[in-house]
Order: sequence, then C-alpha cells, then structure tokens
Amino acid sequence: MPTELSSTDVLAPASGPTVVAAARRAVEDVAILFRFRKQAVRRRHLARALALTFVVITGLVAVVPAFVPGAGGEHTKAFDIFLLMPSALAGFLVLSISSAIASGGGRELISRDQASPYPISPTTDHLGALILAPLNIAWMVQAWVLLGSMAFSFGPRNLFQAQVVILLWLVFSTAVGQVLAWTMEAVRRLRGGIIAGRVLLLSLGLAAGAVQLTGHTLDLLDRIPTLWIFAGAVSGWGARWWLDLAYLVAGSLVAVVVGAIPAHLAAHRLPRDEARMETDQHAPRSMPRSVLGILVRLDRASVWRSVPMRRGVLVLAVGPGLVAIFGNLPWASMTILPGLVASGGALLFGVNAWCLDGRGALWRENLPATPTASFDARTWVLLEFLGCAALITVAIGALRAGVPNPEELSALVCTLLVVILQVVGAAMRWSIKNPYPVDLRSARATPAPPAAMVGYSARLATSTTITSLCFSGFAHVPDWRLSVMFAIPCLIWSGIRLSRARNRWADPVVRARVVATTAS
Amino acid sequence: MTQPPVVDVRSLHVRFGEVEAVAGIDLEAYAGQATALLGRNGAGKSTTMRVLAGVVPPTAGTVTIAGLDIRKDTLAVKQITGYCPDVGGLVPRATPWEHLQLSARLRRLTGWEDRARDMLERFELGDVMNRVTGGFSHGMGRRLSVVLASMHEPQVLLLDEPFDGVDPIGVEATFEVIADARARGATILLSTHLRDLAVQSCGTALVLRGGSRVAAVDAAEMAGEEGARAYRALLD
Repeated sequence: MPTELSSTDVLAPASGPTVVAAARRAVEDVAILFRFRKQAVRRRHLARALALTFVVITGLVAVVPAFVPGAGGEHTKAFDIFLLMPSALAGFLVLSISSAIASGGGRELISRDQASPYPISPTTDHLGALILAPLNIAWMVQAWVLLGSMAFSFGPRNLFQAQVVILLWLVFSTAVGQVLAWTMEAVRRLRGGIIAGRVLLLSLGLAAGAVQLTGHTLDLLDRIPTLWIFAGAVSGWGARWWLDLAYLVAGSLVAVVVGAIPAHLAAHRLPRDEARMETDQHAPRSMPRSVLGILVRLDRASVWRSVPMRRGVLVLAVGPGLVAIFGNLPWASMTILPGLVASGGALLFGVNAWCLDGRGALWRENLPATPTASFDARTWVLLEFLGCAALITVAIGALRAGVPNPEELSALVCTLLVVILQVVGAAMRWSIKNPYPVDLRSARATPAPPAAMVGYSARLATSTTITSLCFSGFAHVPDWRLSVMFAIPCLIWSGIRLSRARNRWADPVVRARVVATTAS
Repeated sequence: MTQPPVVDVRSLHVRFGEVEAVAGIDLEAYAGQATALLGRNGAGKSTTMRVLAGVVPPTAGTVTIAGLDIRKDTLAVKQITGYCPDVGGLVPRATPWEHLQLSARLRRLTGWEDRARDMLERFELGDVMNRVTGGFSHGMGRRLSVVLASMHEPQVLLLDEPFDGVDPIGVEATFEVIADARARGATILLSTHLRDLAVQSCGTALVLRGGSRVAAVDAAEMAGEEGARAYRALLD
C-alpha cells in the first residue's frame, strides 16, 4: 500500500478559504482580539464607567438641546445652525478621512509586532481600525456637536428620524474615511507613492485655497451632496427619509466590505515611509557642548524621525490653521487653537514620553546623567514640539485674521504659554504614573492603549478648552493686562505641577518602574 | 594579602510589588576576573545585573562597586560601569554613532572616536554606524550593545545575554572584549543561558535559582558532559 507521494505525483496546492469564509473568520478574529485587548485594561471599572458616560452623554446630547428655549425656531440662532448642518455633515466626513489617512489606515487593535506571530488577516485589521475609530476625542466631540446641533436646530418634532440619519452618517463617514485611508496607504506604498500622495494632498489644499480666494466657498457649500442627505433627515417618515436610510445603510456596508480590498493591497506592500525611516543614514554631527544639549539632540531625533509623529504634527499644525482661514476665525476665537493643537500633539507621544527610548531606556538609565537632566531634556523637546505645532497653526490662521489689537495679541500669547505648559505638565505626570511599552515605529501606533488615549484626550481637551475660552473672553475686554494677570497664576500652578513630576522622576524606585515598563 | 572584591553584594533583595525577583543574593567579583551568572529564566540574573548597573535600586541588602555604595553614589557607579542590557538596549531612532556620542559626552571622554570606530569595525557595524538602530536585526542590536557597554573601558563590565542571537563573528568579538577587559584589570559579570560560552569566557560561575545563589564554582567545572550534569543538578 503506497504511503507517500511518488516523485511523479504532484502536490495539490493548498486551497485558501472562500471569500465569505475568510470574511466570517475575520469578524470572529476581531471579537477575539477585542476580548484580548479588553483583558489588558488595567482599571476595568473605570473603563465601564467611561463607556457608560459616553452612551449617556450621547443620548443627552441627541435629545436635550431639542427642548431648550429657542430650539427649532425660525429666524433664530437655531435656524442659522440648521442652515449650516449640511456643511457640518461634510465637515465630519472630511475629519474622518483626514484622521484615518494621517494614522496610516487607523488604529491597530493589536500592534504589528504583537500580531506578527498570529494569522491575522488585513480584513481583521481593517475591521479593528473601524471599531477603534470612535475611540478618539476628536471623533466623539464632532459627533456630539453634530447630534446636539441637529437637536437644537430642528426641535423635538421628528427628532428621532433626524438623529437616526445623523447616526448613520457618522457610521458611513467613518467607513468611507477608512476606505480612502487604506487606498491612500496602498498608494503610498507603491514606488513613487509617497510623492504621489503629497502631490494629491497639496493639490487638494491648493484647490480649497483657490475656491476660498475666488469667493466660491458658499456656492460650493450650496451644492454639496450632504444637502440631499440632510433634506431626507428632516423629512419625517417620508419617502426621502427611507431613501436616506437605505442609501446610508447600503453605503456603509459597501464601504466596510470594500475597505478590505485596499487594506489587503496595503498589507502586501512595504510601508515605505517606515522602511525609509528605519534605514535612514544620518551624518555625524559635532559633539554638543553641554550635557543637556546632547540629551535634547537625541530626544529630538527620536521625535522627528518617527513616522506617526511627523504625520500627526503636520495634520495637527496645518489642519486647524486651514479651518481658521476658511472659517474666517477672528483673533479672539483663535485662542481655542493652541489648546487644541497642544492637546493633540501631546497625544502623539507626550502622554507616554519615556517610550521614546524604547528598549534603549535600560542602557540610557545606566549612563551617568542626573535624572533631572533627562527629565529637563524630555520636557524641553515636548515643549518645542507642541510650541512649533501651535505657532504654525496660529501663523496660518493669522493670514486672514488681519492685525490683532493689543488685547487680542495678549490673550493669544498668554493662551499659547499657559496651555502648552498645562499640557506638558499633565503629559509628564502621566508619563511617570502610567508608562506603557510602546514602539512608535508604525504610522498607526499610539503611545497608550485606546481606552487610555480616550481618557487622556478627554482630560486634555476639557482643561485646555476651559482655559482657552477664558482667554477668548479676555480678548474682548479692553485691557491687555487682564490676560497677563490671569496667565501668571496659571503658569505658576502648571510650573509647580511640572516641578513635582520632576521630583518624582528623581526617585530611583519610580524611575526603575518606568524604565522597566517602557523597555519591556 | 588578597584584594577586596570590586563588586560586593550582600544579601541583595529586590521586590516588584508582591514578586521577589532577587531573594538574598551574595556575590563578590574581583578585578581582572570574569564571573558568569547562570540560571534558568526568572532566576534573578537580569535583575541583579540591573541593580549593579544602577538601573534598579535594591529593596534590601548592600551593594558596593569599587567601594561605592550603589544607593548613595549611583552616578559615580554609572560612571565606572558599562552595561549591556538583556533586552534591546538601543534607542530605536538614534544611530550607533549618536549612542556613542551620548555615552562619551556624559562620561566626559576625550579622543574616543578612533577607539569607537575600531570597535564598530570589529563587531562589523562600521557600515551602519550612521543608520538608525530601529531597523537593526536582533544580532546587530546585541553586538552594538556590547560595543556601547565596553567602548569607554569601564572598570566593571556588565554583559547581560550578550551572545543571544549573535553570529560566530560577534561571539568572537565579544570574547575579545572580555579578554581585553580582563587584561586591563576590569571586573566582568556575564549573565547568559549559554553554559559553554560562559565556560569559555569566564573563570568563575555563580548559579542562581529562584532569586538566590545556589553555587559558586570554577567555570571549568561546568565544562563538558560532566559540567552539564552538574549544572542541571543545580537547576532542579
């Protein structure tokens, strides 16, 4: 009886699963990975409380504004918002696309290195990124703004139908954003793809600038397709509403399915940006004169040679600046921008600042440098990173805002200083309190797990927005000294908190814990 | 008159929360000698090395290096030690030369460049000295870690798993580094799972088990089949 193949027999090629079986398996894998991530959550009760808070806030935001005085009225503020709703829907789509593209296809349910030994398909990766997309404070806030604006501008009548469409629009926009992000990533990974991507983005930016400069923005906004969606949303139980529903459900499903194709294409191509960064040659430079100088130089290299940080800071610095230009933001309102940019910048690495050293943290800790010197260098690099981004944003916004008066200038400068120190202080404290072993090689990497990132971003956004709003109010008061007087105690307070973090870092037991964790 | 030990560890305890990683290790290592730390995973080898490198503070016990108390004179201890950590040990987005510059600047070295270049060549890293280490293979990373630990000719050389995943040329170069260090009177502590390599490069071997020292023998006694049996008996 033959027991093995003869030399003339041909081995049948192993057949892969059918498309449907592969898709089913991908969905199952997402559930497995999600449970795996859930197990790693350190404070589960807090995570549950956060999830519940999210649901409650979403419910309240979607309903309560409809019952406040002035809601749904004509010739009121509510009506102005009503007219802006189609543009707001389009804005959410743009946000979803740009944030997914900036993060190289969205966040990872499991990091690339962790995933490498397991048979995790690009479809699983794609679905995981979709699930994680809402775990982002920018996404959440925009979603709440849309739901709240809809409720306030439309009033209680037929609100349910309208909010259903808005919710479906959120899903649709996120799924479409994901498709375009994967497509962009697949293109970027082709030979010449990076240049093609840059040319495309530049062309879009120039086109947007041309529309704005030629005064056609309103014409364009009057013709955007979201008008059609919005008309259906506010048509009650009418046929338009059902059509909206059908289009959005079908569109979302198609986007979710189609997104797997560019995800597979991207997965089978080398990530050129990352590969280039990892093989880059850097000519030796002369030795810095001071210890702080060389520590800063190394930390700076760790930041600017990282793909997620370069991409992230570009989007953060330029995006809000463009919004300020197109929205014709006055100087008094521009005080909101530095806080937004600084918070976003800190979320790129600052909230886990010691992860920059990766596994080199152990070696660095053996070097004869005082711990405070390392802390000062890291703090300085974070400060300049956030400061650069915020200044670029303000500079872009200033292009259309004219010349500020002394009160506006004082408010803006004070906001810049206060929010940056506020964010740096918080980030350095959190970096010591909750270190994570993170490798920021991938464009999709984040410095902390998704749930922690939501917590950080919510806290940063809340504190910096409150501060910024205070200074925005001071910009209207005809005395520039008011902003300065408010800024001084804020700076002292943030400085004290930063100094406490520095003292904590000097404790060898605390430092050993951080170093051992980030290097693990 | 016998010389005092350069590395003197008495009843070292290291706890991480509930876990006691090191439970009362005693250790002496002398100038011009290479001592191997052997033991299974979790025996406390790497934690002991981290304590000696000034990275992890001891929970209890005394640790002196060249007469310096590691708790009080941590910075001075770091000045005279060279440490190759067990994992990675490299800043991912810095080049080898930038690593060396940092080490040289913080240790106030002068005229180090030629020696650094020579060492990089010996470890076959000369071609990649300006490339970021994030793209290095595991073996390249290990070899560079040995270069970084030894470039400044430290009085105490701490090598934690330096042979892990390293090719024969890298192993030979590491042997040379150890031999050179011994020749100039440095104290070497080498932690490894590879008994044969430990026997080849060290004079003494300490076997750790469950966070404690269970034996201190001449490395030669660990050689060959007989040594393997003796070693296994100590591990069980």
